[in-house]
Amino acid sequence: MGLTYRRRLLIVLISIVVLSAGGLLIKRLLLPKSFGVYGPYRADAIAEAALVPIRHGTNASCLKCHPYEAKIHKKGRHQAISCEFCHGTFADHVTDGKKSGTLPVKKEKEITTLCLRCHNTEIKARHEEVIKTVAMPDHLKNQNVKLTNNCNQCHHVHAPLKYINRAKQITGMMEAGL
Amino acid sequence: MKRRSFIKQVLNGSIAGSLYLVWPMSANSLDVPEQIPGIRGKEYDSLNREFAFIVDITRCIGCGSCCVADKREYDVPEGNYRTWVERYVKGFSDTIYVDSPHGGLDGYQTPRSDIKEKVRDTFFVPKLCNMCKEAPCVQVCPVGATFKSPDGFVLVDEKRCVGCSYCIQACPYSVRFLHPKKKVADKCTWCYQRVRKGLLPACVQVCPTHARKFGSMKDETSEVYQILKGPGVLTVLRKEMGTYPALYYKGARREVI
Amino acid sequence: MDAAHGSSVVTSIANFVFPNDFHVHWSMMIVLYPYITGLVDGAFIIAALYYLFDVKSLKPVARFSLLFALAFLFCATLPLLLHLGRPERNLNMLLTPSPSSAMAGFGYIYAVSMGVLIFIVLFVYRPDLVELRATSKGRLQMLYRVMTFDSVDLSEDAMALDRKIIRFLVGIGIPIAVVLHGYVGFIFGGVKANPTWSTPLMPVIFLFSACVSGISAVILAYIVIRKIKGRSIDHGCIKTCVNTLILFFILAFTFEMLEVFSHSYLKSGYHHMVEGLLNGPLANSFWLWQVKICSVIPLLTLGVMGLIKINKSLYNFLAAVVSAILLLQVLIMRWNVVIGGQLMSKSARGYTQFHPEWFDKEGILAVMAVMALPFIILFVMGKIFPFWHKESQTNVKET
Repeated sequence: MGLTYRRRLLIVLISIVVLSAGGLLIKRLLLPKSFGVYGPYRADAIAEAALVPIRHGTNASCLKCHPYEAKIHKKGRHQAISCEFCHGTFADHVTDGKKSGTLPVKKEKEITTLCLRCHNTEIKARHEEVIKTVAMPDHLKNQNVKLTNNCNQCHHVHAPLKYINRAKQITGMMEAGL
Repeated sequence: MKRRSFIKQVLNGSIAGSLYLVWPMSANSLDVPEQIPGIRGKEYDSLNREFAFIVDITRCIGCGSCCVADKREYDVPEGNYRTWVERYVKGFSDTIYVDSPHGGLDGYQTPRSDIKEKVRDTFFVPKLCNMCKEAPCVQVCPVGATFKSPDGFVLVDEKRCVGCSYCIQACPYSVRFLHPKKKVADKCTWCYQRVRKGLLPACVQVCPTHARKFGSMKDETSEVYQILKGPGVLTVLRKEMGTYPALYYKGARREVI
Repeated sequence: MDAAHGSSVVTSIANFVFPNDFHVHWSMMIVLYPYITGLVDGAFIIAALYYLFDVKSLKPVARFSLLFALAFLFCATLPLLLHLGRPERNLNMLLTPSPSSAMAGFGYIYAVSMGVLIFIVLFVYRPDLVELRATSKGRLQMLYRVMTFDSVDLSEDAMALDRKIIRFLVGIGIPIAVVLHGYVGFIFGGVKANPTWSTPLMPVIFLFSACVSGISAVILAYIVIRKIKGRSIDHGCIKTCVNTLILFFILAFTFEMLEVFSHSYLKSGYHHMVEGLLNGPLANSFWLWQVKICSVIPLLTLGVMGLIKINKSLYNFLAAVVSAILLLQVLIMRWNVVIGGQLMSKSARGYTQFHPEWFDKEGILAVMAVMALPFIILFVMGKIFPFWHKESQTNVKET
């Protein structure tokens, strides 16, 4: 071929320019859909984030089907406690409006452990105006009960003062302000 | 694509499976009262939405309910935390002892036994994404996989993230981690999917003492609006980083980092 | 920070590490990446001194350093790909580079520097390639034809044009090389959440230490390869290289120490964390290895070499030894910056630990493989592009 050296170099230069332009074109073509609508990201990612399935319902979702517990829970001092914290998530129990799984119920010592997550005085960061705390086993001693007792033997887990108040009513201690 | 035409296309349903500006009420789990008023049954104009999160340290009892709920909601892999609770112990010599065993997932059942001096004060500090208005993670993401949505949520696009971990380095609050299975960056989203359904973030919902508060800043009746409007002192974490978080702390001592 | 005020500075560190901070996300591959681009930059500086600034004495190593730079540049992306959580998405960096991110420019800067370096090599080697084309056959000849742009024109006019093009390419190559490596430093320097990284000195330190490592590598490789091949060593060339090395190493070491000094003098931000890091988890790798063994010893040796007249063979021997130590210095420095910096938890109250793995994709074996690859590439390239000038074989013997 009779091209001069300069011509060849020019061809090389032109091909570099063409290749770069082609690259930029491919970049444009491969740009994901909805990219750059609100900023340099995929706007559809917002919708995808909004469509992530939820696992926790609310107390209302649980109490709809559990009217007995609802009655007690809504009246007691534990009314602000989330059902799902102690029992597990709504999604593990209900799928498409139908029961799909059984949530474990805490038993015996597990209950005491669970209660003391919040009510342990030893963790000196819990103010009385926020939560009532007790020290173990002092609390059991003071109440003159067996040291092996679990919390739920005196306190209803959904309404902790339910039995206590009832007992006080019966014995007349409530009126005496004790 | 222009923003206006994008929104129009979404409204007309021409972008399939896209942004649901109006949330469809499903017969299932959403048949419960709205927790954040003004979200359902309305057009969700993300450009005109703003939310705030307030953590009241004086009410946190360190039960770890929030951590448990978060782990359950997202199946957070072991050793990584979208939210966690720290325990601060202030000794009489002003020494600060901080710990967060298992991120507070198991709660705090026993006091610290390794502190040799008299204790002056103890408190708990829940941590989560600060949803910075000037988010360093968004700035450094090389591929636009981490972004701040118009309604102020810093989110991760799992489909674009290359897993370079630069955002993890950039986050001053260490709320990010590389998901061990998905191999992409992951972090607290303030439960964006729940908020869009008018529900509170899972951690807020399970908090027994109402130490975590979440709400709309466009709703003048919301609790967070009232608190932020009021004279009470609120702080943000690591103000010197210039990140302008939308997460505020009530009662955070200066030792809190 | 408030937590670190007054006398409680030391005692306020009670070893609390944020739960997400135990894992070191940027491990050995991210140590290697700036190390490799640093070698590229330093070697390129040697070539630039010859081709652009007409430092004639560097002629024996000029071509070699170009090839050396190219071999390492080929492998620069490898540690990054091994590091990425989703390496198959690496092209996202080119498709949707975020305008706000320092890291986003990588793909483009890398591509441009690669292109420029390849063309510099092709133009520098054109006379040899034309000659080799005439003597080769088959596929190899085809390769040489492509690489010479299918031209055999070696006329004075064509050569003058080549020289101009080389000067131009090297001229734009310098800022590109500076950007390629300075930006690596900036990736760290731009992380405000990390007190050891976030300093404007970071790109400067990275650049100078890059030059140190690259020049050292060229000196060492030149001496070793020539020794193995039983050929003579150009003393004038080594001397110029060493003098350049002295300059860059003084700058690099000064800035490295300046950074440490400013942290402890200014006592700003989280300086107690930085001091605790350097005197705690990094006490050995920083003060003993990086500073005392790998910086002070070479500095003294280089001082002797620069100021006192010593015989040539000893000089060459010392040059090789100092280069080897400095190569280690830069590697340790990268380690201390990249991994060391991540040992500090953002809680500003504790340090995590780093345990290198053997068989991980970012493990020790992978590191060795990545570091071996450029040498294999260099060996293969040596078959196509002769490292040394023919005349230098005869010239050097007399000196």
